[in-house]
Amino acid sequence: MKPGKPLIALLAFVAGAVAFLAVWPLSASPMIVFVTAEGETVTPRFDPAAFRDTRWYELGPKDWDPYAQTAALRRDIGSLRDADPRAKELLRGVQEIWTRAPTNPDLDGKAIRIPGYVVPLDRGPLGMSEFLLVPYFGACIHSPPPPSNQILRVSLPAHAKGLKSMDQVWVRGTLRIARSETAHGASAYELSAVTVEPYVR
Amino acid sequence: MRSLLGLALRSAWNRRSTLSLVAFSIALSTLLLLGFERIRADVRQNFSQSVSGTDLIVGARTGAVQLMLYAVFRVGGATNNVSMDALRAVAANRAVDWLVPISLGDSHRSFPVLATTPEYFKRFQYGDHRKLATGEGRVFDGTLDQLYDCVLGAEVAQALGYRLGDHIVLSHGSGAIPGAEHADKPFTVVGILQRTGTPVDRTVHISLEAMEAIHLDWAGGAPMPGMHIAPEEARKFDLAPKQVTAALVGLKNRVAVFAVQRAVADYKGEPLMAVLPGVALDDLWDVIGVGEKALLGMSAMVGVVSLAGLVAVVLAGLNERRRELAVLRAVGAAPRHLLLVLAAEGALVTLIGAAAGLVVTVLSIVLLGPWLQARYGIGLTLEAPSVEQWSLLGAIVVAGFLSSLVPGWRAYRMSLVDGLSPKA
Repeated sequence: MKPGKPLIALLAFVAGAVAFLAVWPLSASPMIVFVTAEGETVTPRFDPAAFRDTRWYELGPKDWDPYAQTAALRRDIGSLRDADPRAKELLRGVQEIWTRAPTNPDLDGKAIRIPGYVVPLDRGPLGMSEFLLVPYFGACIHSPPPPSNQILRVSLPAHAKGLKSMDQVWVRGTLRIARSETAHGASAYELSAVTVEPYVR
Repeated sequence: MRSLLGLALRSAWNRRSTLSLVAFSIALSTLLLLGFERIRADVRQNFSQSVSGTDLIVGARTGAVQLMLYAVFRVGGATNNVSMDALRAVAANRAVDWLVPISLGDSHRSFPVLATTPEYFKRFQYGDHRKLATGEGRVFDGTLDQLYDCVLGAEVAQALGYRLGDHIVLSHGSGAIPGAEHADKPFTVVGILQRTGTPVDRTVHISLEAMEAIHLDWAGGAPMPGMHIAPEEARKFDLAPKQVTAALVGLKNRVAVFAVQRAVADYKGEPLMAVLPGVALDDLWDVIGVGEKALLGMSAMVGVVSLAGLVAVVLAGLNERRRELAVLRAVGAAPRHLLLVLAAEGALVTLIGAAAGLVVTVLSIVLLGPWLQARYGIGLTLEAPSVEQWSLLGAIVVAGFLSSLVPGWRAYRMSLVDGLSPKA
């Protein structure tokens, strides 16, 4: 080869290598795919306008003041040290109220769209079939758990592949209040999802 | 066009020994890429199938991943035990539906031994909420009459050729060194579970009481000298377990999972932790993900290297083929035809290599699959290549075609004169 040729050959080869390396990460793109029990991929069909954007604070009743019952304790909070038993008492009190946090009856049966973080519950061979949706990152893992009206139990239309812990998603679905007597007698929300999409502003 | 391709084919056939070596190296790198992708997908599949319907795993405070690896996959070790008192307190939580304690640590010929309650067989779920089922025999009921009964996972029974009624001896710890065996208290196989494709297949199940019984005359990890308690006598002792390794917990309402997790972490008696299996699994993938990417990158680099080999071989061949190409030009082939001939040759070799790689991958899954399953509990599934694998295969072929444009281009530029007038 004459000089100069190897350079061009090298460039062409590098281009090939780059093309090669560029194709395989395509498989790793974070797509949420719904798969039925029969293993078929399904695309959820829905009318985007039918779902009202909902904020997390709307999930509590309008007149609900989570701090009302601890007002007396809170008056002293400035003077409390972290290790003070009364501070712990306060925290326990708040948590107790949180686990009994009331739901908003107006939202029962409503079609909503809400953003949040995924905490996986069930994952079969075909993907996730159920997860909890929480309002802030690291909810439940690094801090006291959010109030029970700030946790949505989401059931999916089919198994979702490509969803993982703490993914940020938009969920569209019908909200239901499940008045279960089991956990502290508190009611909780269930969201039967129509679709789950990666979160975009 | 067709005659040109035929020409390329016959020309390549003439140099089949060199080109087949190149095809072989491409086949190997295809095997590497596809095999790695298969193993990666199947390991994830196996792991995520291994536990279902369990909302929390409770154990002594350690890493979330570590606790789950040990309790579910029998990988690694436990940092500490959990007292039954603590577990009773957790079970008393109003949100807890069921709690199944498990105790690990012993083994039988390198298969892990799991001590648990009979409830385990009813509660444990895998895959898509599938329950354990006995293939043969029955499970133990936890009474003293069935103290030395054990239930085998399908893989244990198959690998060691055990049948119902056989007697087996458990070893303390991993069981590699003789002398740490519970030879005085053999167990009877009363049941063999159906295959699940999970670590359950590789597990020997005994009751918690039996675990206590075989360790009655043990202290500090060794049999106490001068002390021997006969199997029958052991039944007279208090065999209620005092501490276990971990517990699987199911909740009445899964929304309460964080509250229960918090309650477990706040337990005053001893440091405990509760992990959500799904979250711990994702933590694990985060850790493994880096290694996976590195391995996949390495495999891809091997692919690139074998394509470099292809380019080198065809380029080197060009010198010997000067006359061949010049004759082609002389009989009327345009330079672009030469480009086509050489690109077709490269694409052909890559295609053959990739196809051979696919075949070898399938063969090795078929031939090595059972061995991997038995040895490491990783079930490789033979299925049509996934989207990822097709894209990998496609990437190899496309890259092969692109890199064979290099010699093609070189031939394109070689003039007629260059071929016909030999240099001095």
